Amino acid sequence: MNGVALIARDELRLMIRNRVAVIAFALLILLTLVASLSSWAHQQGIAELRARHQAEAEQAFDAQPDRHPHRVVHYGSFIFRPLGPLAAFDPGVDAFTGNSMFLEGHRQNSANFGDVRQSSLLVRFGQLTPAFVLQIVAPLLLIFLGYGVLARETERGTLRLLLLQGVSRRQIVLGKLSALGVVAILVGLPAMIGFLLIAGQPGALALPMSVIAVGYGLYLALWIVIIVLVSARAGRSRDALMALVAVWAVVAVLAPRMAPDIASAVTPLQNRFQTDVAIARDLRRTGDSHNPDDPHFAAFKQSVLDRYGVTRIEDLPVNYKGLLGMEGERLTSGLFDRYARASYDAQARQNGLVNAIGLISPAIAVRSLSMAAAGTDFAGHRRFLEQAEAYRYDLVQRLNRLQAEDVSYSDDTAQDPGADRRKRIGSDNWRRMPDFAYQPPAGETLATAALPGLATLLAWFAFASLLLSLSTRRLGAR
Amino acid sequence: MTLLSQELRLFLRARLSVIAVILLTALTTASVIAGLAEIDRQRAAIAAIAPAQAEDIGAVADWIDAKKDAGSAGYYSFHPTWDPPSRLAFAALGMRDVSPYILRVRALGLEAQIYDGDTFNPELALPGRFDFAFVLVFLAPLFVIALFHDLVSGEREAGRLRMLQALPGGGLSFWLRRSGLRLGLLWAALALPFLIAAMVSGVAPLTMLAVLGLAFVYLLFWVLLCGLTSRLRWSSVANAATLAAAWLILVLIFPTLANVLVNRAIPVDQGAEIALAQRERVNRAWDIPREETMRRFYAGNPEWADSPPLTDAFHYKWYFAFHQVGDESVADQVYAYRSGLEKRDATARALGWVLPSVGVQALMTRLAETDLEAQLAYQDRIRAFHRDLRQFYYGYLFRDRPFGKADFGKAPRFEPVANTRNPTP
Repeated sequence: MNGVALIARDELRLMIRNRVAVIAFALLILLTLVASLSSWAHQQGIAELRARHQAEAEQAFDAQPDRHPHRVVHYGSFIFRPLGPLAAFDPGVDAFTGNSMFLEGHRQNSANFGDVRQSSLLVRFGQLTPAFVLQIVAPLLLIFLGYGVLARETERGTLRLLLLQGVSRRQIVLGKLSALGVVAILVGLPAMIGFLLIAGQPGALALPMSVIAVGYGLYLALWIVIIVLVSARAGRSRDALMALVAVWAVVAVLAPRMAPDIASAVTPLQNRFQTDVAIARDLRRTGDSHNPDDPHFAAFKQSVLDRYGVTRIEDLPVNYKGLLGMEGERLTSGLFDRYARASYDAQARQNGLVNAIGLISPAIAVRSLSMAAAGTDFAGHRRFLEQAEAYRYDLVQRLNRLQAEDVSYSDDTAQDPGADRRKRIGSDNWRRMPDFAYQPPAGETLATAALPGLATLLAWFAFASLLLSLSTRRLGAR
Repeated sequence: MTLLSQELRLFLRARLSVIAVILLTALTTASVIAGLAEIDRQRAAIAAIAPAQAEDIGAVADWIDAKKDAGSAGYYSFHPTWDPPSRLAFAALGMRDVSPYILRVRALGLEAQIYDGDTFNPELALPGRFDFAFVLVFLAPLFVIALFHDLVSGEREAGRLRMLQALPGGGLSFWLRRSGLRLGLLWAALALPFLIAAMVSGVAPLTMLAVLGLAFVYLLFWVLLCGLTSRLRWSSVANAATLAAAWLILVLIFPTLANVLVNRAIPVDQGAEIALAQRERVNRAWDIPREETMRRFYAGNPEWADSPPLTDAFHYKWYFAFHQVGDESVADQVYAYRSGLEKRDATARALGWVLPSVGVQALMTRLAETDLEAQLAYQDRIRAFHRDLRQFYYGYLFRDRPFGKADFGKAPRFEPVANTRNPTP
């Protein structure tokens, strides 16, 4: 057996003899198992609930009686964001975003009923998921098990003995690294059980899953290098422990909390009230359907009359009110898109800033990598919102077209007792409307989004390894 | 006193301890500055409501005035409500980053409006905010551990313990003095920046005292935990590891575990089901005889029952009536949903008695009025305001009175400060 393996075996034997370490390790394994299973069950529950609500909403939509198409525009459509299988590993922002949306004409509603507003204050302490355990808790366990690997030997003078026995510094450091590596693999194992459960599900993508596995492997490896590095530099075990806990507190607890405050101060978001008022203002400028002398709508009316070669809207072969609805929807939707894009871009800039701060905190880097690959980051939510808006626009315009083509103008403006009946069109029309089908992103898209985080981690790993190899040379020199 | 100043001199010589106290002061300062800045942003957003609203409602009034139709006025007028931050909100932002503090409502169905959210970046909300409560609950214990884990064991390892105990006055009073000084310094590191910020913000003295007392008790808990650990007579390094593990369990693991258990034990009927049900009830009105809706409406609101009967032409009073009937028909579900939320919240609070981290967070957000209770109180104020709005428009609709430009100014205005303990002017 070579020196490295001997050193590693010795270190592991010492850890096993340490009863506190074994208990802590066992507890962590248990915690990860509980986190994996509960997170998986939670994701399954949510996915089923949302699928059920979605089915109910679609059924209700299709079961509508004969109605005027514009009633259906306001009856609207409820959609629910489906939850990808990887959300069981890292639910990301799922609890913080609304997961259901009411889509109707001329209005853009917010996504509502996020878990964060339906849970107790405990939800702000973090969520027990495999991602949380691996990002925050596992490094601390590695610190507890590893702070003394070299500091202890230095402190007790055994390092010198080892060196005298002809073991090289490199072998010692590599041996200690391997011992902690074994621990890290064991720590990561229960989370991989969760991974296997996920992999069995439809829609689980191999590429993002491998990126996540590589990312967390790199993250834990980075911590091991940092631990051995600090342990090599510190003269005493206690100093090593204090320094490592401080590093952990800054990297895993403090930086992730401070970064958002900086980001929101640098790039403020426009709130919904201001956005709504601004949209209404812009709408009055481009075309005000309430103003009978509005130039935009006057021109629109003229263009419609010209196209059909008639002089009065009553003579049009189609229902002018339907056409007007389509034009109005086109204008409002254009504004919705513009303001939504501005808000999304501002939020993306905020997240970019947080990721830049992630250059000093590998925990931020691994979090963004993990969420991006799982499709549960802001970009994932944005994908849902944009598809929802596209669907909303398409649905409303289909209904407006039905009004234009299937309801006559004279019926639509009539007020006599039978008019209500004549304005309605058959309920079979509702069943012909397409249902909302969320298009999940491709595996390549998710994996690509995770690359910046992976690159940050890689840079960190290279940097820490370099420092460690420098420290290795001076090991025991004091 | 001389003994204490001697102790202080000793403390100042320990570089690590001094750095720790300075660092905690700096972090607390940063947290209260960040909190004050966030609250300033929220106040500015609230202050910007009035001019924007005046412009918006002015434009609606301009074209409504032509026909003076009260129904269109009610349909197209959005009325702002807002929830001003309490003076202490900077110290514990609580739910104010994920729940709206500005919400506009119309006199139509409230259940389709009241759950709407504001724009916020979920990735920024995910880790939680950097406020005073975070420094107190999460970080301060780590500083206690740093300063206290080797209080006894350090002396033992340096070979001074027996000598210290043999000295006159070297017993309990010595340890009390030494721990008291360290505890006092850490407490001051939290208290001073907080006090300055609290005075800037104008927090009531009694509330300030409550926060300071809470911070002291919480620190004391961790000091006592360190004291308990030291009785095991382990080495300093074993103490540090044990205490850090205790921190991890009490501050991170138990609360997250409890969250899973609480949400599982107390299922809350999804709010989405209320929204779905309300929509069905409201839209059904178009497919049933209008008189049926009016009968139900008048049964609950007899004061308008003498309004003239409907004709074949569309009348907005029927439209508003079916919206209200729709709201009323889901009242039971709304009540169940709300009590579910309250039950979850109460359970988490009760847990605060055994988990100091949760208890302190709960008390801080309660004092700052940024917790769920405050959110629900805001919703109650919105509901009360919405009732007034309905009555206001009904006064025109059911009496067929014209609604001119001047009438827009008569609409009820939202009163934000009904139940707030520390209101802003």
